[in-house]
Amino acid sequence: MNDYWGTGRKRGRSLLIVEGNHEKNKLFRLIFQCFPEIHIDMDDIWIYGTNIYVLYGDIVKEYGSGWSEDDTVGIDLPFIISKKQHPAQLCYKRDFINIILVFDYERHDTNFSEEKILELQNYFVDGTDMGKLYINYPMIESYQHLRSLPDEEYVNRKVSVSLRPGKEYKALVRDETVLSAHFGFTHKVEGLLKEHFEIQEEQIWKRCYTAILNISNVSDMDATLVDTLQNHIGTDQLRTAKYQFKDLILKQGYIQNGQTYWEYMRDVFKQIIYHNIRKAKHVQSGYHEIEEGQYKECFEQLDLAEILKIQNLGSRDAETGFIWVLNTCVFFVAEYNFGLVV
Amino acid sequence: MLKRFTVKNFKNFKDSISIDFENIAGYQFSTDCIVDGLIGKMLIYGRNATGKTNLGKAIADIRFTLFGGLVKTGSFLNVDSQEESAAFSYVFQFGDKELTYRYARYSEREMREEELLIDGQTIFRCDFFNEEYNFDNLKYIGAETANTERYLQNSLDEDDMEETLGPRLPFLRWLTSNVAFGNDSPVIRLSDYAEKMLFITVGSVTAFRYRRINDRFFEALENEGNLKGLEEFLNAMGVECKLVLMKLPDGRKELYFAHETKLLPFYESASSGTLALVDLYRIILRAGSASFLYLDEFDAFYHYEMAETVIQFFKKKYPGCQMIITTHNTNLMTNRLLRPDCLFILSRTGTLTALCNATMRELREGHNLEKMYISGEFEKYE
Repeated sequence: MNDYWGTGRKRGRSLLIVEGNHEKNKLFRLIFQCFPEIHIDMDDIWIYGTNIYVLYGDIVKEYGSGWSEDDTVGIDLPFIISKKQHPAQLCYKRDFINIILVFDYERHDTNFSEEKILELQNYFVDGTDMGKLYINYPMIESYQHLRSLPDEEYVNRKVSVSLRPGKEYKALVRDETVLSAHFGFTHKVEGLLKEHFEIQEEQIWKRCYTAILNISNVSDMDATLVDTLQNHIGTDQLRTAKYQFKDLILKQGYIQNGQTYWEYMRDVFKQIIYHNIRKAKHVQSGYHEIEEGQYKECFEQLDLAEILKIQNLGSRDAETGFIWVLNTCVFFVAEYNFGLVV
Repeated sequence: MLKRFTVKNFKNFKDSISIDFENIAGYQFSTDCIVDGLIGKMLIYGRNATGKTNLGKAIADIRFTLFGGLVKTGSFLNVDSQEESAAFSYVFQFGDKELTYRYARYSEREMREEELLIDGQTIFRCDFFNEEYNFDNLKYIGAETANTERYLQNSLDEDDMEETLGPRLPFLRWLTSNVAFGNDSPVIRLSDYAEKMLFITVGSVTAFRYRRINDRFFEALENEGNLKGLEEFLNAMGVECKLVLMKLPDGRKELYFAHETKLLPFYESASSGTLALVDLYRIILRAGSASFLYLDEFDAFYHYEMAETVIQFFKKKYPGCQMIITTHNTNLMTNRLLRPDCLFILSRTGTLTALCNATMRELREGHNLEKMYISGEFEKYE
């Protein structure tokens, strides 16, 4: 190494700003795995957990209360966050190709403010520049809130504002979704490998995990499973393991179509995205009919700020108010390149 | 118009590198960068020493081939390659005819082979290395009367040839000066196009500045309109001034800033930025008739807004002139002025990629391309 480079600058990173739980980054990891074209290196994602109103406060602290009105300011979220987290090693938005903010609507938050959340939604509109805010209604779990595939009723689905998000809404989704088995599949495989068959070494279980999820052919399945597992699971258990994984995979139903888990989930995501485009259109314009081939155009006409205003209005009354179920963070894929979801 | 250019084994381009002016995307903005379905205004970015200047030299080679000129110094062939010749290929569209002119040469003085095709049909082919020549199809361009025997005779007789080009005079060059073609002949259109290609590098611009007095430029300024034009140009670029051209006692001309009571010698008092603008105005005067303009780092001395104004000026004033501008000024990397299919990155490995092909992300009008470039969105192609 010569002396000319200094500390060097790492470019091409992605910043994911989410509320403290892991659900959100798990969903994004899954999205990035299903859409490898997006080319996001898992190690280059910086996940920052915070509350949307804490973040709002941090922005005001750095840039003053008129921050969103001044076009010349150019809010630098990586700078704000790094200054708070590790001031000795500041980061700037010029190092990031994606800045994604994902928050729940959280009408019940004691700090909830229609104005503040709208101000943020109006400002953070470009993930390649300042950042893009995706608000999920009523919360992130809405991406699983489909009772069937396709679900014609999804466009009309709303929840009462009195329904407590968190526990109550999560339970509702758990009861109603048809997708949980698909989304829980990776955890199941991981759990079986690590806990049930006691493969502790990370490198090994990850290799098995990858191989199992990549199986796409029924006729090779037995051989591949044995190949993958035989040196890591005792011979007495190998047969059981093989049948258990085989059963698990067959129940998912994708392998019968010659797909890997990722290919299958990619299709599932596409459907989720389409359901939410229709839904967003319904919320925004009161009607949801979209002709085949018109989805892209329709998607481009969606206005997340307009949708937020409508949600704010609809949920204002604590008794009779309601919130349209809508997941906007899955739109990230369609926005990156609509060709990925066609 | 030039549709496609390819070069191989020339200077730092060991492998083949192409500029495809036809490869446009369907953007609905900055449409003034596109002319007749081809890229009309192109910007090329790249780290230092990726070959931005050499790429201009490569494209300029056709003018040298057809019209000669001073043999340049410096290595001609790629030094890492085993191949003995550099290959050039130009595809033009003139009206409904597509012309392909391609050749290979060992050095600036010596041709290896040469071929002209019209709509895919070979018109002539010269393989100087194996001494195989095919002139059977000259009739397609109305040149069947050309005395090719004489050409071959000359080619073999080295003493007869011009010093600058050595023993192998390009056949096309010989043909255009020995056969009377009509003005609308594709061969003449190609020759005209090549003659009107203009290449300006920072080097050649600054060299002029030290000569200070360029009689031809002052002659051009004597035309009242041009002097006024220069004044207006400087004013438009934010340099408020009034100019006069005076005749000195020895008959030479000198340019002055006209202040209220005094005249200030222009070249002694103008700032380096203003001088750079005058150089640019000289280019503009010449560009009026250019078919193709390669501006190498033209804006190195300009304020970023001025560089933008200059590009706007070229777009408006010379819509039909195909332009390639190399620059480090990322402020010009914007959809307000250009578009992702007209903005290119030249990489260290010798690839040239338009921004829209340098990421899987769908680029939109609202995207801040400059920020994306700096953040590494196109890193794999830099």
